[in-house]
Amino acid sequence: MFYKHVCKLVLPPVLMFVSLLLISGAPARAELAVPPGVTPPVGTHAGEDVPQPIEFPHDIHVNINKINCMYCHTYARRSKVAGIPPTSKCMGCHKMIATDKPRIQKLTEYFTKKESPKWKKVHDVPDFVHFSHERHIKKFVFDADLPVENVEQVCGLCHGEIKAMTVAKKNKPLTMGFCRRCHEANGGPGDCWKCHK
Amino acid sequence: MSGFKVNRRDFLRVLGWGGASTALVGCDMPTTVTLEEGKEDVVAYFMPEEYVIPGVGVWYASTCTQCAAGCGIHGRVREGRALKLEGNPESVINRGKTCMMGQAGVQAHYNPDRLTQPLMREGGALKPASWEVALKKIAEKTASANGDRVAWLSGAVSGHQAVLINDVLNTFGSKQHFVHETIHASVWQAVARDMLGDAQPVLRMDKAKSILSFGADFLGTWQSPVHFATQYAKFRSGKRGVLIQVEPKMSLTGGSADAWVAVRPGTEGILALGIAQNLVKRGWAKGEVPAKLKEVLAKYELGMVANATGVAGDRIQRITAALKDHAPSLVLAGAPVEGGENGYDAVSAVMLLNILLGNIGQTIEPAAQFAEARMQARSGGTRGALEFSKLAAAKKLDVAFISHANPVYHAPGFMKMKDAMANVGFKVVMTQFPDETAMQADVVLPLYSAIEDWGTHVAAYNGGVATLSFQQPLMEPLYKDTRGFGDVALSLLKQRKPKEYAAFNDYYAYLKASVSNMPAAVAKGDKNKDAAWNALLQKGVLETKATVGKFKVNTATVAAVADVSADVQFPYRLLPSARLGLWDGRHANSPWLQESPDQISKVVWGSWVEMHPVTAAKLGVKSGDYVRVTSAQGSLEAQAYVFNGIHPEAIAVPLGQGHQEYGRYAKGLGVNPYAILNPVIEKKTGEVAAYATRVSVTKLDKSARLVHMGSSDTQMGRKLVSTIPATVYRRTEGEA
Repeated sequence: MFYKHVCKLVLPPVLMFVSLLLISGAPARAELAVPPGVTPPVGTHAGEDVPQPIEFPHDIHVNINKINCMYCHTYARRSKVAGIPPTSKCMGCHKMIATDKPRIQKLTEYFTKKESPKWKKVHDVPDFVHFSHERHIKKFVFDADLPVENVEQVCGLCHGEIKAMTVAKKNKPLTMGFCRRCHEANGGPGDCWKCHK
Repeated sequence: MSGFKVNRRDFLRVLGWGGASTALVGCDMPTTVTLEEGKEDVVAYFMPEEYVIPGVGVWYASTCTQCAAGCGIHGRVREGRALKLEGNPESVINRGKTCMMGQAGVQAHYNPDRLTQPLMREGGALKPASWEVALKKIAEKTASANGDRVAWLSGAVSGHQAVLINDVLNTFGSKQHFVHETIHASVWQAVARDMLGDAQPVLRMDKAKSILSFGADFLGTWQSPVHFATQYAKFRSGKRGVLIQVEPKMSLTGGSADAWVAVRPGTEGILALGIAQNLVKRGWAKGEVPAKLKEVLAKYELGMVANATGVAGDRIQRITAALKDHAPSLVLAGAPVEGGENGYDAVSAVMLLNILLGNIGQTIEPAAQFAEARMQARSGGTRGALEFSKLAAAKKLDVAFISHANPVYHAPGFMKMKDAMANVGFKVVMTQFPDETAMQADVVLPLYSAIEDWGTHVAAYNGGVATLSFQQPLMEPLYKDTRGFGDVALSLLKQRKPKEYAAFNDYYAYLKASVSNMPAAVAKGDKNKDAAWNALLQKGVLETKATVGKFKVNTATVAAVADVSADVQFPYRLLPSARLGLWDGRHANSPWLQESPDQISKVVWGSWVEMHPVTAAKLGVKSGDYVRVTSAQGSLEAQAYVFNGIHPEAIAVPLGQGHQEYGRYAKGLGVNPYAILNPVIEKKTGEVAAYATRVSVTKLDKSARLVHMGSSDTQMGRKLVSTIPATVYRRTEGEA
């Protein structure tokens, strides 16, 4: 809401500037909001480009088509892993949509062969770290009464602004210090065994 | 560190204050704690089942096959892989508990040395072959075989697998099914059958107030350890029961006892008769004592028994009094007693104590046997391999099927099993691993792991409730060219009787049909077959009708127990001790179980020769020195472990190691005491007297640090657990 408001106010005077930005190729978007009452973890990471079997465009799905993160990463609220969507789920839409695009044709090829693409893992923590998506979604979305359509703000705490990317890139360090700073600022558990078990 | 002394307590205190802040300094070092991006694959499901959530496990019921106890298990499956096994609370055997071997079941499954395709002997060597070719070869070679020239040697087996083995042999007209188990209780069972009229009486430790165990390691290796452990927990809770363990070498159970009594190896039966005599003499025996029995007992006066067994007379009197004061009691006999040359007589003497103490009907109840005889457990013993080896050596076998057994490794050296098997015309070995027996086979058929296979199991010792326990696959087979045991047995049957078995595509179909059609005498068959079947698999166990016996007490078989003879050339008695973990050696290929220390000596990954400090001093040996143990049959070499928990006349070499094959973890590690056993047979049962071998020990000119957990057997004066000597306790607290 806040951003819409700001946009209305500042739009006319900077219209010219924004148009210039558009022309120069910078994306037209607002900075990702922080969920109310949350102190975001501090730290950035210059992630590598990770080539994927299909150059999946997060920007088209999230930024343009406004698809909720948890529509595809449906296990995030149910499990420790967010899960990569099953190939059948992709095809649920792409039997019809954008079938002329090379990426979709490649996807259809996988589907016909009854295979899943071998995606490359971008975000990971070591095996001795027990991280649960479910717990974090519960705390920051359901327990906090955050509207589910804003879940990207919570995802963004650790994954950054995915909607501005095609294939995901790691832009937060996901180190123990990064986790601990957020736990301390937002009242997360501090016992060693909560994560190392 | 000079000049700046920090003791452990101060160190912990400093860490406590500063740790929270200082520990975080290194937490942002990405090189050490973050992972590389884009290196690992993450493959999504193609089209997942609705109940599948990545990262969330689903638990399936099955049955553990790591030993023959038949515990029910639950296996956690996540992303299509079995990850963790736990006990099934529905199982009356283990009530939701497992032992370390059960936990290590996943390692038997994921073991990298599993056989992945059939092997056939060609020009003297085993070469990979297809199932079609291997089965065709079997059909050719067995076509003309018949009668008792065909034999099947298996490990302990029950349920539908036992039925199938029986059916295969029937097609040849053979009755030669031999069951071989190194760790068995068949002498106990024979004595129970003869003296109580029930081979597998139910032992109610939970009702007992005292247990006198003659070497029965019921918490470790005796019959059904997990079942007895849960019973033992009840025995120790409430008014704490008293456990007295009498044995030549401390077992896991001995380590938990209130009193551990070292007895001269082989004289446990004499001690039992001494206690019996003491009971009768003090008028504490329940019921009428037959005159013939009194006659037998007459010579077992305290002085004579103390002299023979090395257990002092006043101690024998205290044990007798403890049994009387803490009634009802329970008296058990395990491997060291059963394995003596006088095993049957010694166990009879032990069973007599139960009768004299009035335990029959109190803490010993009649068994409830599974109603269908064909599916009852064949728990076996060492007699099976002995008979098999004799037949084989005499060239009386044309075809031998061997499944879930490794007789070339497990049979004592004197049976010369490898040479005997060379005289068998055609040998088919069904196994999961390239073990010693598989290497002698003509055809090797690689089996599914227990986690991939179907099956049903009936426990030999069921604790008084007859159940059928289901084994179902927890995941897809890892190797496409392996097959289930039931499937292989069905293939053999289809070769011989194609019409009768045509209806069953696989073992699953056979099991489902067979269980659904079980006669009402065994289990009430639910006619809604699919629903009933699914419910069964979900629960994992089916409680069935049982035939409950009635005791017929008989003491006529109790006889004098022969004393063990001394031998100047071989002054010590060899104890091939077993432990929960490596068991009889079948788990030597599990790294988890290899590195789980022996419960008493704490040695890992190897063999050792356990001896008493007095013996060690006599030989000039200290822990870590290499020694040679020699019997009339041969010798072996290993490091000595000097320990108080063994009789000075005994030398213990643990079972489990000394594999010549069996994969990377087991091969070439340690020694096998069974290789040097003397050919002593317990006459009344025909079992190998495994604890009756006499040995000599010589020190070798080699020493190394013995790898074991913990550096010291004492508390180093730290009073972690306060203790007082028994004599002081008796003076201040009275007799106990």
